[in-house]
Amino acid sequence: MSTGAQGLALGYEPAAGRGECAVRIPLGGSHSAGAMSESQRKRLVSAVLEVRSEPQTRLVLLGVDVDGLRPAGRAALRDRIAFLPADGGLLSNLNAWENIVLPIGFHQPRRLSGVAARVKGILEELGADPGDLLAKLPERMTPYEKKLTAYVRIALENPDLVLAEEQQRGLDSAGRAAAARFPAVYLERCPGGTFVRLEVADEQP
Amino acid sequence: MIGVYREFEGCMRLAGYVLSRLPVLAKPPVAESLTRQIYFTGASATAGIVLRGAFIGTFIIAYVIDVLEANAALAVKILVWVVLREVGPLIAAVLVIQRSGTAVTTELALMHISGEVANLRQMRIDPRDYLVVPRVVGIAVSTAALTVYVQVIAVGGGMLLSSLTIDASLRELTGEFFALTSPVDFIYSVIKSFLFGAAIALVCCYHGLHPPGTSINAVPKAAINGVTQSTLLVLLLNVVFAYLVFGQAFFGLVTAKL
Repeated sequence: MSTGAQGLALGYEPAAGRGECAVRIPLGGSHSAGAMSESQRKRLVSAVLEVRSEPQTRLVLLGVDVDGLRPAGRAALRDRIAFLPADGGLLSNLNAWENIVLPIGFHQPRRLSGVAARVKGILEELGADPGDLLAKLPERMTPYEKKLTAYVRIALENPDLVLAEEQQRGLDSAGRAAAARFPAVYLERCPGGTFVRLEVADEQP
Repeated sequence: MIGVYREFEGCMRLAGYVLSRLPVLAKPPVAESLTRQIYFTGASATAGIVLRGAFIGTFIIAYVIDVLEANAALAVKILVWVVLREVGPLIAAVLVIQRSGTAVTTELALMHISGEVANLRQMRIDPRDYLVVPRVVGIAVSTAALTVYVQVIAVGGGMLLSSLTIDASLRELTGEFFALTSPVDFIYSVIKSFLFGAAIALVCCYHGLHPPGTSINAVPKAAINGVTQSTLLVLLLNVVFAYLVFGQAFFGLVTAKL
């Protein structure tokens, strides 16, 4: 990456010869990473979540080049990043409420008090009925409700960087319109944060 | 052979991990998972185990009285030796394998195949912390509790039947029972059944998290591996315990040289 790492929320320079394009997302705001192949998306997501670049690639996260980081530094950086999978990434034996509070209950149990009001606030801001959604198991949720549950789950953690995978996939028009509001609602609550949308290009036969 | 060694090594590593990560039980989601496991393995299995325990206790006593023409002392002795030390923990272990072992292996294998284990990693949660630690502790505690149920019901049922069928009062049988029983018998059986439960859970969790494939066909294979290997491990632990504590294994066929 020829430019400095400091102004980048996400910088990914793939190994030469793969035919993949570089990704450069500035700090702050909502951005699309551009259309990429399925394999590149998987590699990028894996590298970001492991805070580790593959050989001959370079990865910058939140202004830090991950190559020079020690394990503690990687872990600290990872704590500031959230991933929003296309299918929501929910656990099927937990209802929406349990799925939402799972990571915060695990990593920051002291923050559990008052979390119900925050969840209610985020859901109402996105036009959802908390009473209807929170008791549902994933098998009874619509694709949008799954994405919404996953979104609320990451929003509670106030991450500095959100990586959202194919946010429109599998949604009807109402769901697409509602999911399109996720970045704005996130940025309202985390003004300095960066919301990155990862879209997969249609594969050519 | 190498596969068996790898599985054994994997289970041992998992056991070490669980021991080193016990403080994670204080985290609210893990504590909730532990409570659910204890409810499923311990509380909801109670009705079935009470019936089985009563049946086995009375069956053993009826058999002994009929075949050996036993007196009160012999009947109680057999209750203590067979039901308290051996059959009680084994029945509880078999019931736990049937109910919880299969359920745990299948659930974890399905979670692995459907990507839910990977989802936990994406949330920075080690799947062993959230899925394995509460299951191992919950099943171990529940197995020990179920063993006590079995012992109480089987011994009580056996003595009640004996008082009706041989020339001995319930009071006489109870007195004989407390004269023959030592605290070691209870401690031995509770510790043994706790370890049975931990072994069952470890083996089943290991196979659930390492199914032999990524298709749905791998789920029943993982369940079969979990159930057969945990059964063998329980029997092996039983022999080792009998030899270590009483100097005898295989009902006296192998005796320790003192």
